[in-house]
Amino acid sequence: MTNEASSTVVTEVACPFCGLACDDLSVDTAGEALAVVGGGCAKAQAGFARLGVSHDGASARVGGQPASLEAACAEVARRVKASAQPVFAGMALDVGGMREVMELADAAGGVVDHLYSEIGWRSTRVVQDVGYVTTTLAEVKNRADLIVLVGTDVVSKASRFFERYVWNDEAMFEPAPAARRIVYLGGGLNTAAGQSPDGRAADVFDFDRARMPEALSTLNALLAKQPVSEAAPLGIELARWQALVEALRAAKYSVLVWMAGDFEPAQVDLNINAIMSAVRALNVTTRSNGLGLGGADGELNASMVHAWQTGYPMRTSFASGIPLYDPVHNGTARLVEQGETDTVVWISALNDKTPPPPEAKVVIAPPTLKLEHEPEVFIPVSTPGVHHVGHFFRGDKGAALPLRALRATRLPSAAKVAAAITAQLKEVSA
Amino acid sequence: MSVIKLTGGRVIDPANGINDQVRDIYVKDGRIVAALADGDKVSAEYNVSGRVVMSGAIDMHTHIGGGKVNIAREMLPEDHRGDPVARTEVTRSSCGYCAPGTLAAGYRYAEMGYTSCFEPAIIPMNARQAHMEMGDTPIVDTGGYAMLGSDDFLLRMLVANEDQKSINDYVAWILHSTQTLGIKVVNPGGISAFKFNQRKLDLDEQNAYYGVTPRRIIQTLTRAVHELGVPHPLHVHASNLGVAGNVDTTLATMEAAEGRPIHLTHIQFHSYGTEGDRKFSSGAARIAEAINRHKNVSADVGQVLFGQTVTASGDNMSQYRNAAFASPKKSAVMDIEMEAGCGVVPFKYKDQNFVNALQWAIGLEIFLMVEDPWRIFLTTDHPNGAPFTTYPHLIKLLTDRSFRNAMLDTINPDAKAMSNLAALEREYSLYEIAIMTRAAPARILGLTDRGHLAPGAAADIVVYTENADRERMFEKPDLVFKDGELVVRDGKVVKVVRGNTHVVKPEFDRGIEKKIEPYFRRFHSVRMNNFKISDDELCECGGGSKLIPHACGKRS
Ligand code: SF4
Ligand SMILES: [Zn+2]
Repeated sequence: MTNEASSTVVTEVACPFCGLACDDLSVDTAGEALAVVGGGCAKAQAGFARLGVSHDGASARVGGQPASLEAACAEVARRVKASAQPVFAGMALDVGGMREVMELADAAGGVVDHLYSEIGWRSTRVVQDVGYVTTTLAEVKNRADLIVLVGTDVVSKASRFFERYVWNDEAMFEPAPAARRIVYLGGGLNTAAGQSPDGRAADVFDFDRARMPEALSTLNALLAKQPVSEAAPLGIELARWQALVEALRAAKYSVLVWMAGDFEPAQVDLNINAIMSAVRALNVTTRSNGLGLGGADGELNASMVHAWQTGYPMRTSFASGIPLYDPVHNGTARLVEQGETDTVVWISALNDKTPPPPEAKVVIAPPTLKLEHEPEVFIPVSTPGVHHVGHFFRGDKGAALPLRALRATRLPSAAKVAAAITAQLKEVSA
Repeated sequence: MSVIKLTGGRVIDPANGINDQVRDIYVKDGRIVAALADGDKVSAEYNVSGRVVMSGAIDMHTHIGGGKVNIAREMLPEDHRGDPVARTEVTRSSCGYCAPGTLAAGYRYAEMGYTSCFEPAIIPMNARQAHMEMGDTPIVDTGGYAMLGSDDFLLRMLVANEDQKSINDYVAWILHSTQTLGIKVVNPGGISAFKFNQRKLDLDEQNAYYGVTPRRIIQTLTRAVHELGVPHPLHVHASNLGVAGNVDTTLATMEAAEGRPIHLTHIQFHSYGTEGDRKFSSGAARIAEAINRHKNVSADVGQVLFGQTVTASGDNMSQYRNAAFASPKKSAVMDIEMEAGCGVVPFKYKDQNFVNALQWAIGLEIFLMVEDPWRIFLTTDHPNGAPFTTYPHLIKLLTDRSFRNAMLDTINPDAKAMSNLAALEREYSLYEIAIMTRAAPARILGLTDRGHLAPGAAADIVVYTENADRERMFEKPDLVFKDGELVVRDGKVVKVVRGNTHVVKPEFDRGIEKKIEPYFRRFHSVRMNNFKISDDELCECGGGSKLIPHACGKRS
């Protein structure tokens, strides 16, 4: 037995670096940077190493000059107050950070927009149009007998999907995990992870993924027992499509997986709608479910908190004193392009790689974020799950994981910064 | 130190047998006190003479937080547009009618004199989210019931014939781990059966994989909750929700409790017969008779009121079926984490629709035929029968027979002809309304310091101007105090405070974790230690709300 009390390794750590939120990581806290020594993946290792330092010497800046946190927050409050239409963008935050930014955005009469909202609002439109039939990762782990990956390999974005939820040693129900059948719809995907542990290759329908709507129409036509005139839709002979339909009908618990960010943006709602038609058709006689994965960079933390506090999904404006939802109008890029905002505030505690738009006058982010331009105000913040505790919604909506504090820092959390700006803003108003 | 005096009010406090007596009430530091001590200086006095004073109302079954409610919010922007809540000096903006944002929900509850609300369907894996949403529901106290009965862990225990003590330990562990106040079972075993492609599950029908029946689940869980001494009886959403003829299932479910305490929720949706040309009739008389006879049974009604709403339930088996009746035409159905599921289906109850009109009448029949107001609770199963903001209207229906009969005259005539509502003369008194919305929910949940106005109680107090029109009276109290703070004046929020979270922490043997931990590692998607919510974490989820644990008197 190792002496737990003196060990520097923290176990069962949840990872905030993609939407899977794996919670089996062991992280060594002994070195200057955090080191993933068990579980995890390359992205997790890099993330904990890059962000898991104490960020000594990082300081807020106003006009490129070092400033106190109070002065920087006051300056942001002043700018937000003077702005006709502030936009709070980025939003790679934990739940606590998002909660505070929501209060700030309401008080400021702003708009809140996550870095993936351009895709996210199209996904949300499906639930507003027809709804869905879906499942979550623990169900997949124990029940799935046929998994169809629609236009995604998942692993390019969430590398441990197969390791953690498909090729398990055991499952509660039949079939044994190794006997699961994997099908990819679309070409150009990394299908290696879909190969079973005993070497069975996945079934790949290789076609141009931009033609996904046609592929899904073919499936839906066959499911509805409608004639399909082409001998080889998308270059794949009809018999293979028909066999897939039969396999779906015969499966006891098929799962159709997608990642909205892997679809052509203009096709996101079209494709998810088509997946849902297939799932609904299958559920007349058997069980079949969709599984939309996403959630990286706190996408769901932002969308969940936004929906529960205001009632509306993201891309809602608080400018008039009541929430007004208009996802087409309230996108950061569009507002900037049309000159409808004069102040973009970029807030991101989890992501230090995506550059803020050049128009961002205020940047609130980890000090490791490389900036192409010096913003008017920069406030360095700590990272949830690295420096402070927090919560993170997994991409399947099946769980919210607790995040740990593993590394001490003097930097404030984004939540604290947002609360300080709100307090200043109210003072400016009073 | 703050000392408040409410002078000369007509106090209605059924928990203490006080019916409309003129009394002064003193509040010191958030609690009611019998009298002032020497040196206490009254910091605020309110002359409430002639006005009605009650404790804060308690909604013991309202879907205010958790995954399915948030799906409903996202699904229904069209619901929210007409019902904005504007930002003010003290409140934030929010919106929504049947699926309001948490901020709107908290403000509106407080503005109606409600000071505590309980979310009845917390999927254990979703407990964090539910607590976060409740934590963002301002002013009111919150708490919830954890859903068991379709979770694979319990079903495996039943198949393995594990002893009752182990099951009790598991149930207690769930209550601790999810920081909840009670246990709920939804379509017992049926949510699991749906995952095995079963589309209905009667009380004595076996789950296709486990062979376990709903009856056995109810027997086991009523016993567990009782033996652990959890104040709130097992909270049961029975089998066959909404199905014509389900009155027999519901009556049999009462028997399945074998005399132990059992609470049947939204019983209106489970009180349907098969008589008449349309094979749909009221089972209210049989249900009420059974409740009157079985003193171990309590129920909340889940009253239907006409208009647009959204149904949100853990019962995905039923909701998948109900999706065919969605209005507008959309629905979300989910299987969730080897524990449960959910289904969200928007619905419009129409007064000229035979079934909807009869549902409305059945709910009222149950209210009026159950004799003991301590065992029947005023709910619409928000938002399933109607949004909670309809409560003042519902109170008017219960207290005013002529109003009720006037409404009855406007509904679908065939439904009217099938109902005995016109013959029911009962009118609830203010005292009885105070029982069913205050004293009784506090008692059945074990909240010893809520729902009454005796010294020691939390100062959750509501002052109304009496109005013969009870809807007007209850929709806009003059004053609402939460833990001694004036939060509402003339029906508008004047101060926002943070409510408390109520939980129970029954004693149990932690050794059960030796069985639970490997189960999580082998089959679940998270580790056991990341599933459990500690006291500190709960406060963080709740945005800093205070944890109030309630006592359990172990019975085995
Ligand atoms: S797959 Fe995602 S959540 Fe899991 S360890 Fe890698 S980055 Fe972290
Ligand atoms: Zn309910």
